[in-house]
Amino acid sequence: MIAPILFALLAGLLVGLSRQLNGRLAISTSPLIASFWNHIVGFALLTVLGLIIGGLIPAGAGDAPWHAYIGGPIGVVFVAAGSWLIARIGAVNTAMLVIGGQMVSGVALDLLRSVPTTLWASALGVLLILGGMALAQRR
Amino acid sequence: MSNTETQRPNPLHLLAAFGTGGLLTLMVFFNGELGRYASPLFSSWAAHGTGTVAAAVLLAVLWRRRPKASDTKPRAPLWAYLGGLSGAITVMLTSTTVNTPLGLAGTLALGLAGQVVFSLAADLWGLFGLPKRKLLPKDFGALGLVVAGSALIILVGMGAGA
Repeated sequence: MIAPILFALLAGLLVGLSRQLNGRLAISTSPLIASFWNHIVGFALLTVLGLIIGGLIPAGAGDAPWHAYIGGPIGVVFVAAGSWLIARIGAVNTAMLVIGGQMVSGVALDLLRSVPTTLWASALGVLLILGGMALAQRR
Repeated sequence: MSNTETQRPNPLHLLAAFGTGGLLTLMVFFNGELGRYASPLFSSWAAHGTGTVAAAVLLAVLWRRRPKASDTKPRAPLWAYLGGLSGAITVMLTSTTVNTPLGLAGTLALGLAGQVVFSLAADLWGLFGLPKRKLLPKDFGALGLVVAGSALIILVGMGAGA
């Protein structure tokens, strides 16, 4: 059980590292160029990995509806935005607000899709996050 | 970027960051759909591939005259191009850990902790060439509220289906 915990923690550290590196690249280039490099470098790594372990393109890939493929283009905007913001509001604010936005929109998406949730906890969580945002922008 | 010590971030920038969190939710949702039809590896590979194409198209559309050599942006060090490696490894790690007893909630909660720790260190020391940022008590207060709210949503709110 120790290994999965370390992996999950490391994944979080790497999210921050990725944004920091892309933010640095954006200073020298542009946020969109940084996002381009982020995607092509990741694509190269995953291509190599897929060729080594095999099964890169599974049978079901063709059955997926077209909209399942728009996560990539959305990610381009996401990475570009993060690379632009991190130099302006800092790493803590960027991480905190992206997480907050992800949580609040996730609760909204779950409600829309009627995914069972514990409503009081989700509602209280949203309030705490909005309170944090209000505090962050105070003078 | 001249004033990196600005204590009060532009509220519009904060809202923009909050909005990109919404983009992340959509991205995770669609990539999850693709992963369900195919595999997590294929989903991440395809997302990086379609993202590369989308970014190239956007760059082509927005392409203007090259800035003159006199525009003095510092050259990026080679390591600054490696954000994509870090991102791709993240996907590999999380697609492993969601299938352990940690599940999605544990993966999200621990990932949150990792991000918070990294961002604190990044602002404190100005890691990887980005500006240092002085953290005030209110910053820790805000961070505490967002982390507490997120933990509540992940660990209790999402627990209903279990």
